[in-house]
Amino acid sequence: MLQLAPQWLTGLAEKALTEIIALDPAAQSRLQRLSGRQLAFQLTEFDWRLVLTATKDSIALNLHQEAVDCAIRASLSSLRQLRDPNQLTHLIKTDAVQIDGDIQIAQQFSNFFQQLNPDWQSHVARYLGDGLTHKLSLLLSQLAMLIRHKQQSLQQLTTELLQDELQLSPHPVEVTQFCTEVSQLHARLERLQQQLKLWQE
Amino acid sequence: MSDSNSKTTHFGYKTVAEDDKVSLVANVFHSVAAKYDVMNDLMSFGIHRLWKRFTLDCSAVRPGQKVLDLAGGTGDLTALFSKRVGPGGKVVLADINASMLAVGRDKLRDQGLVDNIEYVQANAEALPFADNSFDIITIAFGLRNVTNKDAALASMFRVLKPGGRLLVLEFSKPQSELLNKAYDFYSFNLLPKMGQLVAGDADSYQYLAESIRMHPDQQTLQQMMEQAGFAEVSYHNLTGGIVALHRGYKF
Repeated sequence: MLQLAPQWLTGLAEKALTEIIALDPAAQSRLQRLSGRQLAFQLTEFDWRLVLTATKDSIALNLHQEAVDCAIRASLSSLRQLRDPNQLTHLIKTDAVQIDGDIQIAQQFSNFFQQLNPDWQSHVARYLGDGLTHKLSLLLSQLAMLIRHKQQSLQQLTTELLQDELQLSPHPVEVTQFCTEVSQLHARLERLQQQLKLWQE
Repeated sequence: MSDSNSKTTHFGYKTVAEDDKVSLVANVFHSVAAKYDVMNDLMSFGIHRLWKRFTLDCSAVRPGQKVLDLAGGTGDLTALFSKRVGPGGKVVLADINASMLAVGRDKLRDQGLVDNIEYVQANAEALPFADNSFDIITIAFGLRNVTNKDAALASMFRVLKPGGRLLVLEFSKPQSELLNKAYDFYSFNLLPKMGQLVAGDADSYQYLAESIRMHPDQQTLQQMMEQAGFAEVSYHNLTGGIVALHRGYKF
């Protein structure tokens, strides 16, 4: 049964995606430009390759390894860096990300998902009413802010703990200083080698 | 397999004249058409949807392609294909049975799928299409009911474009003995009762169980496809071999 689990998951994800896209009134016109394009995405850690096909009102999902307009292969670790366009050339050079085909299509898909803004409030308001929905929406955005804030402070706390209290990890300044010392040592060694060479001759 | 000397064939476990099989199968599907989808979900616990999605993945369908969904019944695969081939492509839903085709057409229209679908009542043994017409042909749970399977495979080979592929999704032989026993008990004891209860027709579901046992197993079907001219024929066992997906290419 596990054999068909990926099909089950893509089926569910496709349904969810269709619902989300239907909630964004602006998505339809942006989809039209994308319609008929196929993008494949694979994580190097897994065998499955996800193929996204833009249709006239949704994005269909499939799993296969065959020809598409643009195929991206990336590792889990490089996934975070992939969001930063400045890092892209570096990632491609170091083979952390492989792109086959028309890279513009990948960008168009990426733009579509970034601009996706489902108007879930008006949908929920049909059941809860405007007032309650507004409160819920406010509550959720406050919750998101709280989580982000907690995440930041947790990160800072961990950094301080590792660097100052437990001294498991060096401070960036220490790293820079260490690097400078290493290069100075390297330079001295070079000088010594050259002197040695002179004396030998 | 049909016996060409005496011109008889199997209809489940019964032996009938070859000319009668078409109308006998037709009666089965006229009888179950209305409840077909409900029964599929019930009998397979919804897993038939995953088998169909697996078939879709193996087709690697692209926008703009022409797809023939043969014995397409109530159009589950047609719906999936129709979205993916888009306005530039086309899906032909073909079935020999008018009742099934009517149910399929109503269902797809209700889903708003009208642009790129054609409906054709056709016999798989003599497909009414030009040579080299389709990029993909699927026949899901249909080949079992065809009287002359070799003629049907040859006909599919003819209408497939070079480079195109045929996908045959069909009940097959479970790989483990234990599963086989459980499956036999389920199909001969529970299935006809469920058919009686939901669709009011036990005989049709008795036929279903019997016809599955009479259908060629994985290796035999692979050989049949190769004999019809298909290249690189391979198969995947799904759910322990209760169902197998055969894939072959025309080069």
